[in-house]
Amino acid sequence: MLSGDQVVIELRGVRKRYTRDIVALEEANLSIPKGEFVFLTGPSGAGKSTLLRMLYKAEEPTKGSIIIDGVDLSSLSKSQIPQLRRKVGVIFQDFKLLYNKTVFENVALSLEVIGLKKSQLATRVRQVVEGVGLADKLHRKVVQLSGGEQQRVAIARAVVNRPPIILADEPTGNLDRKRTTEVVALMEELNARGATIIFATHDDALFENTHRRVLQLRDGKIEEF
Amino acid sequence: MPLGIIFKRALRDIRQNLVTHVMTTIVVALTCLVFIFFSVFSINLQRVADRFGKELAIVVYVKKDLAQEKIPTLYQKIVSMDGIENVKFVSSEEAFKRLEGYFKDEKEILEGVDPLFLPPSFEIQINKAVYNPGRVRSIASALSKWPEVQKVQYGKEWVDRLESFSEAVRAAVIASAVLLLVMAAFVVSNTIKLTVYARQDEIEIMRLVGATNGFIQGPFLLASFFQGVSGSLAALVVGLFCYEYVLNIIGQTGLIRSLHLQFLPPFYMVIIVLVSGIFCMAGTAMALRRFLKL
Ligand SMILES: Nc1ncnc2c1ncn2[C@@H]1O[C@H](COP(=O)(O)OP(=O)(O)OP(=O)(O)O)[C@@H](O)[C@H]1O
Ligand SMILES: [Mg+2]
Repeated sequence: MLSGDQVVIELRGVRKRYTRDIVALEEANLSIPKGEFVFLTGPSGAGKSTLLRMLYKAEEPTKGSIIIDGVDLSSLSKSQIPQLRRKVGVIFQDFKLLYNKTVFENVALSLEVIGLKKSQLATRVRQVVEGVGLADKLHRKVVQLSGGEQQRVAIARAVVNRPPIILADEPTGNLDRKRTTEVVALMEELNARGATIIFATHDDALFENTHRRVLQLRDGKIEEF
Repeated sequence: MPLGIIFKRALRDIRQNLVTHVMTTIVVALTCLVFIFFSVFSINLQRVADRFGKELAIVVYVKKDLAQEKIPTLYQKIVSMDGIENVKFVSSEEAFKRLEGYFKDEKEILEGVDPLFLPPSFEIQINKAVYNPGRVRSIASALSKWPEVQKVQYGKEWVDRLESFSEAVRAAVIASAVLLLVMAAFVVSNTIKLTVYARQDEIEIMRLVGATNGFIQGPFLLASFFQGVSGSLAALVVGLFCYEYVLNIIGQTGLIRSLHLQFLPPFYMVIIVLVSGIFCMAGTAMALRRFLKL
């Protein structure tokens, strides 16, 4: 099940307050070994997105430390952040797509930033877009797609550069049962190939019968079961 | 930094934001155009001033009763003065012939007039390299004190007026260039700021997927360099066209033609294009720096 015991994601006493009264996380401790696939759940507003955002340094913890792949994020300089983000593929809850650009252009962005050659880039993008079932819409503008289709574009962009860590923030929120199952299967496959995955969702059905670890956010703390 | 990708992204950015790009380019072009107009005016005024300066001659009328033998001595005396380029003796007869030339068909007017009634004179050309109005004045006043000299004439008012006008124009050009530079900096950086703000989401997304600052900035910088270069080129083309047009209307007279007016020298044009490109790029770099909090 676990392909190693090297810890790739670690939170030590992490607190996050946006303001004095808005407390997202109070005291979060977490340790995820390389190659694990965990579910992150909790009611709306529990702090799931906040936790994930801190893992790719889009948000700084108010207190405590976060260690990714052995590197304390507080020690990262601004110029080192891109390297971190290339290692961490994020499926954003709000997609963060470029709506006036095509599916191809959106997905290709992750590969362009690492300077992949055009020939390789096109093949990789096509493969991944096919994998999320959008092969026939490759050159459509994202704005012309349905919510579920857009979500799958977001998934394709997050995984196309084969990042060792994948953070999925509610990646099935807009999908029907069949597509949800497909996305979960895709995540399983990526995990089987070695990716460490945090899958945030409040769809209990997804982890009802799972053997995976389920982390529950409650009152600013992480509970496991 | 993969230059090929940056270049392609810049081209794609321009294509996809064509309207904003064209607008910025037009702003750049208009700014350059104003500057070009001023420059053409100033450069040609300078040319005209130089030309008149070159042709300005001092005419020294010799006293009629001066013995013929003294002419060569006087000639030598004038030639040995500082800053004299060329001295030509015009005898009374020659002066009369010239007068006849002016009247051409109405020579009768001069009938009965003594061909020697005009005083002989020296036409003195001032060395162009040392030319300045003060110089002409001092040479003229020195000459007028000589006993052999009856009268000295030179284009005093002309020189003085042209000189002060030329100076005023040059000051205006410099002042307007500074003003224009400030205005252009303001407009260009604001246009760029608008572009950057309009694409805030895109920049944010690029950062989230691991783009370096260089990767994000590169296409912006390249695109604004294009804008600067194409805007100034367009301004040069329009400026040249207007120049030719105006010259066609006013340039028919011999006087204008004799001035040998010209558009900007090629070197000057190259400088305008390069400075415009670099200037736009620097403005973009500053706007991005603030926006990306580098
Ligand atoms: N940028 C922000 N500024 C201030 N408060 C914020 C900000 N982002 C989130 N919050 C607050 O932090 C808390 C946690 O928000 P977060 O988005 O992490 O919850 P979540 O678990 O992802 O919820 P959901 O399931 O609805 O996505 C909420 O109370 C929210 O209002
Ligand atoms: Mg959320």
